[in-house]
Amino acid sequence: MRNAYVDQFPAEAKVIKAAFWSSFLALAIGGSLGLLQALHRTDVLRIMEAPDYYTVLTAHGVLLAITFTIFFLVGIFTWGVTTSLDRGLVDLRFTWGWYAMMVVGTVLVGVSILGGVVDAIPMNADVLFTFYAPLQPHPAFYVGLVLFVVGTWLAGADWFRTWLAWRSDNPDERIPLPTFMALTTTLFWYLCTLGVALSILLLLLPWSLGIVDSVNPLLTRTLFWYFGHAVVYFWLMPAYMLWYVMLPKLSGGKLFSDPLARVVFVLFLLLSTPTGIHHQYLDPGIAEGYKFIAMTNTMFLLLPSLLTAFTVVASMEHGARQRGGTGYLGWLKALPWRDPVFTGMALAGLMFAAAGFSGMINAGMNINYLVHNTWWIVGHFHLTVGTAVALTFMAAAYWFIPQVTGKELWNRSLGLVQVLVWFVGMTFMSNAMHRSGLFGVPRRTAEPQYENFAFEPAAGSMGEINAQVALGATLLTVSLALFLLNMVMTSLGGSSDEIPDNTYAETLSGPEDAPVVLDNLKLWTAIATVLVIFAYTLPLASIIDAGGLFGPGIDGFQLAIEAGPAFVLESVREVIA
Amino acid sequence: MNIHTYEKAWLVAAMVLIVGFMATITYGAVGPGIAMIDDDGGTIDPAEINDHERFGEPGVEHVGDDEYEVAVVAQAWSYTPEQIEVPADSEVTFYVTSRDVTHSFSVVGTNVNTMVIPGQISEMTVRFDEPGEYGILCNEYCGEYHHTMEGKLNVVPEDEFDLTELSVDAPSEVEAGNETTITANVSNGMQEDLETTVALEIGDQGSERDVTVPGDGSEEVEFTVDSAELGEGDHDWTVTVDDYEETGTLTVVNATDGGDGSAASGGDGDA
Amino acid sequence: MASATETGETDQVREIGHEEYDPVGTAILITIYFLILVLLWVFMYFVEFLGNGPTVVGAVLTVVGLA
Repeated sequence: MRNAYVDQFPAEAKVIKAAFWSSFLALAIGGSLGLLQALHRTDVLRIMEAPDYYTVLTAHGVLLAITFTIFFLVGIFTWGVTTSLDRGLVDLRFTWGWYAMMVVGTVLVGVSILGGVVDAIPMNADVLFTFYAPLQPHPAFYVGLVLFVVGTWLAGADWFRTWLAWRSDNPDERIPLPTFMALTTTLFWYLCTLGVALSILLLLLPWSLGIVDSVNPLLTRTLFWYFGHAVVYFWLMPAYMLWYVMLPKLSGGKLFSDPLARVVFVLFLLLSTPTGIHHQYLDPGIAEGYKFIAMTNTMFLLLPSLLTAFTVVASMEHGARQRGGTGYLGWLKALPWRDPVFTGMALAGLMFAAAGFSGMINAGMNINYLVHNTWWIVGHFHLTVGTAVALTFMAAAYWFIPQVTGKELWNRSLGLVQVLVWFVGMTFMSNAMHRSGLFGVPRRTAEPQYENFAFEPAAGSMGEINAQVALGATLLTVSLALFLLNMVMTSLGGSSDEIPDNTYAETLSGPEDAPVVLDNLKLWTAIATVLVIFAYTLPLASIIDAGGLFGPGIDGFQLAIEAGPAFVLESVREVIA
Repeated sequence: MNIHTYEKAWLVAAMVLIVGFMATITYGAVGPGIAMIDDDGGTIDPAEINDHERFGEPGVEHVGDDEYEVAVVAQAWSYTPEQIEVPADSEVTFYVTSRDVTHSFSVVGTNVNTMVIPGQISEMTVRFDEPGEYGILCNEYCGEYHHTMEGKLNVVPEDEFDLTELSVDAPSEVEAGNETTITANVSNGMQEDLETTVALEIGDQGSERDVTVPGDGSEEVEFTVDSAELGEGDHDWTVTVDDYEETGTLTVVNATDGGDGSAASGGDGDA
Repeated sequence: MASATETGETDQVREIGHEEYDPVGTAILITIYFLILVLLWVFMYFVEFLGNGPTVVGAVLTVVGLA
């Protein structure tokens, strides 16, 4: 008898399916916009006006970094919690409630961004993913973001209450690993989103509505990064969960160490948030000492990722050897490379190892002068969120969509081609971006072709860099189209009995080997809070002390005027004079 | 909790990496002396930039020996000044602030790179040992035409650098037979005295005057011109100080032509 | 648990328990990774970064002697 997720939890499967499709829709739109940008920037094909580039870039960033990742996350975590606790969610109406809230939030944000290119919509939110004040979007942008975040808070509450219900029935059991991962991730999400939520509700929204006159740009920026680095771990954690609980099984083996997996997630809970200032190494108004503290925390945050590299590879090796693999490295050949789910996740992990290196550079305080805000950074996060996360999610979808629909994957070979094309495309694009950042090519720039100087690469040429980026982006778009095709065709197919059982990896060293203190979520949350207070109280106090809570009379700017730059410049000057 | 020996070794290796990375960064701070942008620059109300003692007149200032200060105002979508010139073998402290939104001030191909946040002043000191030409760009999105925001930094050989300015005050016409005066004003932005020669050429006549312009001061040099020697008609003149040059035309008119003789400036401007 | 589409589980030829498993291949791979990280770090910091001057230095300069 078939025992897929949809058979075990038919009602939850519907929510997860809805979350996945919301995620895919964001991926489809956001990903296609990426191609438009890559071709425009590299001057291969320019079908839009330069100012529209920034509207498109805002949509690309928000839809992929926030919508795509987090909708997929809520699906995966809901799967992980219900599967590992072996019980349904407490109240499905509540569940559909938070899902609806996230959708409404996304629509509000999406429409306000779309207003930047569609005249009929009297809104504008060309503020990019970081919405640094005093760039000012329509208030709907802020309201949408808050709704979305509150939706995720309620989703977290849903997992917690399900776990508490399970706990009252199973007072002495260890928290199953997938649930443990979902809960620790949710805890640091609460901790980090508090900053940005307060920033939006108390400072930015009142300012965009004209209730207060002014903002302190450094303050809202610091509160953004208080959340802005933890969010990267938020979207990375479901990928980590899949590497820990799916990859070993797909490799034919068992998770090498459950205790170390718990240690890793506890470290992420502790260190994800008090690191945000490493995005502000080159900001004025923050003393060097605070930057050094942020670096220390960031560097120690490498530890859980480095431990993960060992545990996950060891789990894969275990699988390969159980499948008959031998030799020092010969076992690599025994891995199931024809399985798109395995191959996609393994390649994503490999890319993450490379991203780990550029991340180490980004974490280094003074070397940030070299790479800050250059295309290097863009190369880095296209390896992290753009591959480690996105490719893992796409590969996972080849397993999960059959699980939540009861329909067999339409074409496995196409899936394999798809993950390989993504890997190759990203290799070209990311490599070129990294290299060009080292000779100063900026990120977030529509047409980085300057009048009075040229970039001087030590090796290669700007033309070759641009060609690699355009080629890479094209391959990525092809891969994205193949993925969506496979998903749509799978959904159009009929129900199948060939769906594998809904299981996750067993462990070689199980939770019984893990100290009980690891499961003490209250303790870790308390320590995490103390670390945040330690890292942020003094910098925030000095920023507020120097610039005021609301800043020195800084008005909003929507630097988007039909009449062109000269006019805007003039009007800006008038406003100031 | 049993951890495999290899994984224990990896844990140690990972810690070595982490500590090694931080040691390298610390070395960079104490060895080559790399300093981070911090809160030394202080804060500023963007509405007061025009009245600010430093940013009211942005540009290069000599503060002594090989030390210079450069004030830059960033705004959508340009820098003031757009061109910055400093000498090689100098130590330059940049002060950068923004009139409107967040920008950056990034000298392409170097490690001189700072965010420019409204309300804050970014202060950074840089040593320029060699001459060179660098582009400056804004690498933080600042509105629709963000990609057009650029500037230029020229580090010139030390002996080609000065902060001399020349302006000339001269009448446009003079009645034949009268004397008139062409006044050259030479200002010196350097802290040291400037010893130089001011030269005037008019028609086929020339005269030179050696002057010493005090540090951070200016000197006026008056040249008396006798129209009788020039004769009636238009006479081009040129005043030069080092590499700076001002030109104009003096017209000698016959008194009976009824020229108004007013001292409307003919050639008047800054080098 | 085994299923036709789960290649991972159908192809298992032996069971390796916790005590008998020695992840030697992982140790080799992770050592290679470690060496790559160290080499690239040194290259990036000392060649790409410190060779990319001018660089922002402290206002109180002690560098004159060193430079």
